[in-house]
Amino acid sequence: MSTLVNPLDERSRDQQSAAPRLDGLEGKTIALLDISKPRGREFLDRLEQLLKERYAVASVVRETKPTYTKPAPAALLQRLAYVDGVIEALAD
Amino acid sequence: MLASGDSAPDFSLPRLDGTDWRLEDAAAGGPLLVTFIETDCPTCRLTVPYLKRLSEALGADGHRVVAVSQDGRRETRALVEAYDVAFPVLLDGELHVSRSYDPPAVPALFLVGEGGRIELSEVGFHKEDLNSVAETMLSSLGLPVQTVAELNDGAPLMKPGCGSRHLEAALTDGGSAESPEPIDLLPERSARASRIELAEHEDPFEYCMKAGFSPFLPVVPPTAQRVEALLAATPHAPDRVIGLVPPCYGPATVEKIAANAVMAGCKPEYMEVVIPVVRAACDERFNLHGVQATTNSATPLIMVSGPAAERLGFASGAGVFGNVARANSTVGRALQLMMANLGGARPGEIDMASLGNPGRFSYCVAENHEQSPWQPLHEELGFAPEDSTVTLFAATGLMEVSEHTARTGAGVLRTIAATLAMVWSWRSCGRVEAVVVVCPEHAATLSADGFRKSDVREFLFEHTGVPLRAYDHQGTEGTQLRELYEEIRIDGEPHYRKFKDPSQIRIIVAGGTAGKFSAVLGSWLAGPKGSQSVTYPIKW
Repeated sequence: MSTLVNPLDERSRDQQSAAPRLDGLEGKTIALLDISKPRGREFLDRLEQLLKERYAVASVVRETKPTYTKPAPAALLQRLAYVDGVIEALAD
Repeated sequence: MLASGDSAPDFSLPRLDGTDWRLEDAAAGGPLLVTFIETDCPTCRLTVPYLKRLSEALGADGHRVVAVSQDGRRETRALVEAYDVAFPVLLDGELHVSRSYDPPAVPALFLVGEGGRIELSEVGFHKEDLNSVAETMLSSLGLPVQTVAELNDGAPLMKPGCGSRHLEAALTDGGSAESPEPIDLLPERSARASRIELAEHEDPFEYCMKAGFSPFLPVVPPTAQRVEALLAATPHAPDRVIGLVPPCYGPATVEKIAANAVMAGCKPEYMEVVIPVVRAACDERFNLHGVQATTNSATPLIMVSGPAAERLGFASGAGVFGNVARANSTVGRALQLMMANLGGARPGEIDMASLGNPGRFSYCVAENHEQSPWQPLHEELGFAPEDSTVTLFAATGLMEVSEHTARTGAGVLRTIAATLAMVWSWRSCGRVEAVVVVCPEHAATLSADGFRKSDVREFLFEHTGVPLRAYDHQGTEGTQLRELYEEIRIDGEPHYRKFKDPSQIRIIVAGGTAGKFSAVLGSWLAGPKGSQSVTYPIKW
């Protein structure tokens, strides 16, 4: 009989469920999180316009990650905690 | 916040054991370092082991390092026990002293010198400040000066802290919910690995694959006996944490490292290299989180330089990027296994590479010092000739450059420059770096023509570009950023410069003595907004 040393990360993982989905966009505050890929702004400007025109969102908050290669800083995530929904927005 | 030059207000606070402590008494006859901390602030927890080291260096004057906890007795005791702190820790439960010193953030360091004057006041974690505080305190007490914060110990050079509790209390009306488990950015110890007893009929090799110990090639089963042999070759305790492996930040204890190194096939003596490789991979400048999660194919290339390479049997000559030596193949593979098993990035889950890269089996080379006419990589990076180092570079695949016809150094470099221009994407400039692997025959041609390593780098920088005519094809990658590019002339033709700076081109000599094949390896996104190449000394 042989004894093995567990080579894996053995910390227990919390199961997190996804946040509840919005029932609609009308009257909601929606954040667009630009992850800083080239020309993201142009794409998101148009998306913001469509959210307002077609979906009657109350307001659109724009935030930008310093770089797409790293997780968003904690302070940015805290600012996003107050909106109804976030669209994390890629572009290329 | 009180600043240097201010007089440090006297105060009394209870120590954790309930006895009284007074600043005026503690500051008599020598310098005193007072550090305000919160027990759940990751930056404060990062700072505590350095304060401990300073206190130990001060010997009989170790009590001249003092922490003021802004939290309750229970949380403070847990921190003191977790870090085995022996210097005085005071409780500022009512935050009176915090209000009077008024730091905006913690950790907040106040060095109190002669006459009760504040000589330094600083918030956050800064290795440079910790070392200068240590120098001031040690030298003023006539003790030998020593470095308390090594630059290459796996911790960042600096880290901002958290808002001071006295400001937080004002904002939140003092009410606080049950605090979550504190986060340690660089814990000293972590749990021992569990043991798995295999049933008599179980094939250990198949068990390892079934249990997910390797996402790819079968591994050597990490039996307790094999792991013990690797642990016996290191001076560290098995539960000592070398780093937290991104992106899931699993603790790489010496024991977990040994188990993965066994699986990769490492000999016990390779641990001397595997440990600094883990430190480098966990260095936040390297940004392993991004390297592992990107759809790009880059993966860490390990470059070993210095006398340890030969001593441990790392190949640097013929076939260096292939399967030529146990040291190269197994050390590179050990890192890949740890990236999956401790870092948590498995192909198709967090590791989202579209194509991946053959280097993901193992990507580890040594520099061919014997055939190099130039200064070795580690010396170029400021290490002593007798030192050895590992350098990690987030590399994509290898592009070979055949140049058997050129008789001059410049001719060889023009051919290499043409390949360098292709790195990342042809029309994309300034975003990435590259490693140029110069083969011994090309190195000899260059050296005979008087090229030093710095001349090679400069020549490649000046001659690597993308012709402006390539930008007639609008709407292709790289064209959208052309206003950021620098226009230069190469052989009279207008080009955009490929690299921003000569330092983005790294040069090593490797490969066999026959065959005029050099190589170019591109990077993932480079610099502080991507992955920065990091170098760690090979030492325990």
